[in-house]
Amino acid sequence: MHEFNWGLLIVVYLFLGGLSAGLFFAAGLANYLEVDGQPAYPRVAAMGALLAPWPVAIGSALLILDLGNWYRFYKLFTHFRWESPMSIGSYLLTIFTGIAFVYAFAWLPEAWRQQLFAKVPATWKQVHRLNMDLSPYRKVIAMVGFPFSIGVGIYTGVLLGAVSARPFWNTNLVAQMFLFSALSSGAAALLLAMVLDKRSPIQTHETKFLITLDIVFIVLELFIILPYLIHGQLSVLAVKQALWLILGGPYTVVFWVFFLGLGLLVPLGIEVSELAPSLLKGKAFHGDRKLALVASSLVLMGGFLLRYIFVYAGQVSSFHKMGMLH
Amino acid sequence: MAMKKKRYALVLDSRKCINCKACAVACKAENQVPVGNTRNWINEARQGEYPKLRIDFEPEQCHHCEHPSCARVCPTGATWMRKDGVVLVNYDDCIGCRYCMVACPYDARYFHEESGTVHKCTLCSHRVDKGDLPACVETCPSKVRVFGDLEDPTSRVHELLATRRYRVKEPQTGNGPQLYYLL
Ligand code: SF4
Ligand code: SF4
Repeated sequence: MHEFNWGLLIVVYLFLGGLSAGLFFAAGLANYLEVDGQPAYPRVAAMGALLAPWPVAIGSALLILDLGNWYRFYKLFTHFRWESPMSIGSYLLTIFTGIAFVYAFAWLPEAWRQQLFAKVPATWKQVHRLNMDLSPYRKVIAMVGFPFSIGVGIYTGVLLGAVSARPFWNTNLVAQMFLFSALSSGAAALLLAMVLDKRSPIQTHETKFLITLDIVFIVLELFIILPYLIHGQLSVLAVKQALWLILGGPYTVVFWVFFLGLGLLVPLGIEVSELAPSLLKGKAFHGDRKLALVASSLVLMGGFLLRYIFVYAGQVSSFHKMGMLH
Repeated sequence: MAMKKKRYALVLDSRKCINCKACAVACKAENQVPVGNTRNWINEARQGEYPKLRIDFEPEQCHHCEHPSCARVCPTGATWMRKDGVVLVNYDDCIGCRYCMVACPYDARYFHEESGTVHKCTLCSHRVDKGDLPACVETCPSKVRVFGDLEDPTSRVHELLATRRYRVKEPQTGNGPQLYYLL
């Protein structure tokens, strides 16, 4: 039996980190889009901004608790090692989380903000100084945050891709795969949240925007997965043997049926069939609520499974033990 | 006088190995390795069926790589390489993220539950620095293990590698492993 040094918490962490990156990206993008000089998707932008910081904050907390010595996590920030993806990633993640919280703050409705500060004792003057209206700076903050959100999305892949000892990971495609998966998860999570928000029902043009975004990212992800499989098959023996893990080996079913099928192609099919009539035939877009619910949930499941498969299968792959698996 | 450069390595005459595991036992005692973990072990390779059976034994442990991927990925620099080539973990700086375990192509590391840090073969640097041999080398009854300084032309390891044919395991990892197996 192969022992797994990295387990489910790492999977959750990579998923949540990517999710935040995707939420921030989609929300920031929505903030920039205008129709006739008016913001086109202000509610999408608000929802995404308010949600974005939480997954990564929770994920990082989980990761710290997973360390052998969690109270030593500060040592990540007393060293900088440019060769270690984890070192660079820790800084990237911290900066990104900070920006995401500031961005969420900038989108906090005025009433909520006053409520929040009402809870702070009046004597804490320094804290009350922070009770500012940042809404004029939303676009600036989003622009500053974009590269960091992309960076976090890439980092979750590089963390694995940079490990030369694991042929399943060590290709130059994993980073992009994780990035596009993160962006698509973000768009899907936003769609899910807006569909579930009963107080202010999602509007058709918002569904259309998020579905379009998700289709783009899923297609990009497919364009990475395909060459990953093809290149792997044409690569050196160790990589080919590693790919066997998802081509006949123990992770075959989760990869093909649950990730690629249910987590990618089915939601893509649903979303395309929703969008195609309005795109190709000029018909009105309806945006079925239930279908959006199903598609976005499936995308999120797929995003989680991608991390799951990579974290586990990758650790099994190696240069020397593979022969024994056959 | 400037100190001469050193490069410690192990040369293993694995054909002499009889799988008695004295090295593993000696290491456990010397380095207080917890039950269930090992810093060194014996690989078995079987060929054929009884009675035409052949089993090869091959001792393995941390290869003290020339380009250690474990040290490269370590986010705090807890894993580091001494000037004499010994790869060590500074336990005070190790946060227990286990990235190094994932990154070692030879699976030479283990997680030390009690301290929450990662341990592995130290080439018994605490003994070597006093002029003694690593515990496994001293114990091996069939003289499989030869320890020494590759930079020293008079050393036995230098002589063996100059005169005998040898191989290293999985050189394609790019790690530059420093366990030399005589053929
Ligand atoms: S064998 Fe593994 S633990 Fe030892 S130096 Fe090489 S990469 Fe590091
Ligand atoms: S477990 Fe310790 S030695 Fe290994 S990479 Fe993490 S901090 Fe470095």
